[in-house]
Amino acid sequence: MPIQLTSQAYCKMVLHAAKYPHSAVNGLLVAEKMKEKKKESHWEPVLCVDCVPLFHGTLALAPMLEVALTLIDTWCKENNYVIVGYYQANEHTKDSRPNQVAEKVAARISENFSEAAIVMVDNSRLRMSCFEPIVHIYDHHENKWKSREVTFDCFEDWSEAQKITSALLEGRSYESLIDFDNHLDDLRNDWTNPVINKSVLDLC
Amino acid sequence: RRHGGVCCQKKKMATISEMYDVGWEEMRDKLRKWREDNCRNSEQIVDVGEELISEHASKLGDDVWIIYEQVMIAALDCSRDDLALTCLQELRKQFPDSHRVKRLSGMRLEALERYDEANKHYEAILQDDPTNTAARKRKISILKAQGKNAEAIRELNEYLEQFVGDQEAWHELSELYINEHDYGKAAFCLEELMMTNPHNHLYCEQYAEVKYTQGGLENLELSRKYFAQALRLNNRNMRALFGLYMLAGRGTKESKCSMKAVEEMLESMQITMS
Repeated sequence: MPIQLTSQAYCKMVLHAAKYPHSAVNGLLVAEKMKEKKKESHWEPVLCVDCVPLFHGTLALAPMLEVALTLIDTWCKENNYVIVGYYQANEHTKDSRPNQVAEKVAARISENFSEAAIVMVDNSRLRMSCFEPIVHIYDHHENKWKSREVTFDCFEDWSEAQKITSALLEGRSYESLIDFDNHLDDLRNDWTNPVINKSVLDLC
Repeated sequence: RRHGGVCCQKKKMATISEMYDVGWEEMRDKLRKWREDNCRNSEQIVDVGEELISEHASKLGDDVWIIYEQVMIAALDCSRDDLALTCLQELRKQFPDSHRVKRLSGMRLEALERYDEANKHYEAILQDDPTNTAARKRKISILKAQGKNAEAIRELNEYLEQFVGDQEAWHELSELYINEHDYGKAAFCLEELMMTNPHNHLYCEQYAEVKYTQGGLENLELSRKYFAQALRLNNRNMRALFGLYMLAGRGTKESKCSMKAVEEMLESMQITMS
């Protein structure tokens, strides 16, 4: 089951990368929990309706990741979501391959959702306008993470996603994007990003 | 440094002073605060600094030079080579033989990914002044930028043998080790930092995170101890608090952290999730 990104999920990922241009960033992708009968269809793409930005800077430490997974798990249950993927933007502009951290987190996610995907943000193509999708999507096949060709089918509505992402980048909305690190710095910071979600909705 | 063309060519509709109703003194003071706190909010520094320089340079007195330096570095972060060059040229005019300015020239070359030329700049500085720590650290930064982490680590270790009190360097080294998943060596760097900064709650907390990541009974015990210490030093360090709760669940029959413990903690802190 290939994953598909909504505008909200895509743009928040890109905003997270844009907010911390000098650091690696990562986060989780969530989808609505499917009803039992739908599970049988292997051709239905899994729609990632949202993402939760996690950390920036050092990604390779365990405890706060576990805290985040625990709390986000609870939030998912309340909203009937399931964690279906992981995104990461590396520190280096030219490096967009998933590393050990990405594989470890994705493996963890796979325990609950067998078709978990890794989405890597391609830093070298991050621009204001981003006319093309700037992500690589990796699926787990035969014990390896293989990159899949990214087409407009990987998006619920690419032209909407592109338009919204551009608008929010230009308006510097990333300045108010909250990740889990920001939340740990000040618990009042809301990692569900209601303000940005509303901006996305308003632009739809 | 990822922005590429992201920050360029934005039509400003109002000046900073108009938008925020601030005078040039407040802008200057804001820049000073950001310098003191070592913030890397480059876009804001460029916004405020560019306006301050272009409209109020004459009022800034001797502060203008340090502001040129600050704005120049921020401009490099934002791919504003035009602004960076302007600042650099002013500094070169004022301080023609300065090593500090030469280092800034080097940084500009780094931003343009002209690493060989940048290295030559730094080597020239070091020829003249072998104790110039800034030039040595820039050379290590170049290794990092080129993805040569192992070499960067080696050079940084050599640097620290000579400049054992350089905390920024110890911290940088700990991060390099963490990125290489060499947690034992990262812990060693943090131990150095904790020894020289016993009241710094952040070092304790980071050390605890590294120990937790290493795993194993002894390390988890140390992790618990240092999360607790961090909390004692600063009772608002949430990472330390959460860390303690994660560890509280272990050593019981459950192999994973007790979600109930976390929920209870959240309740006691009256946090509501949307």
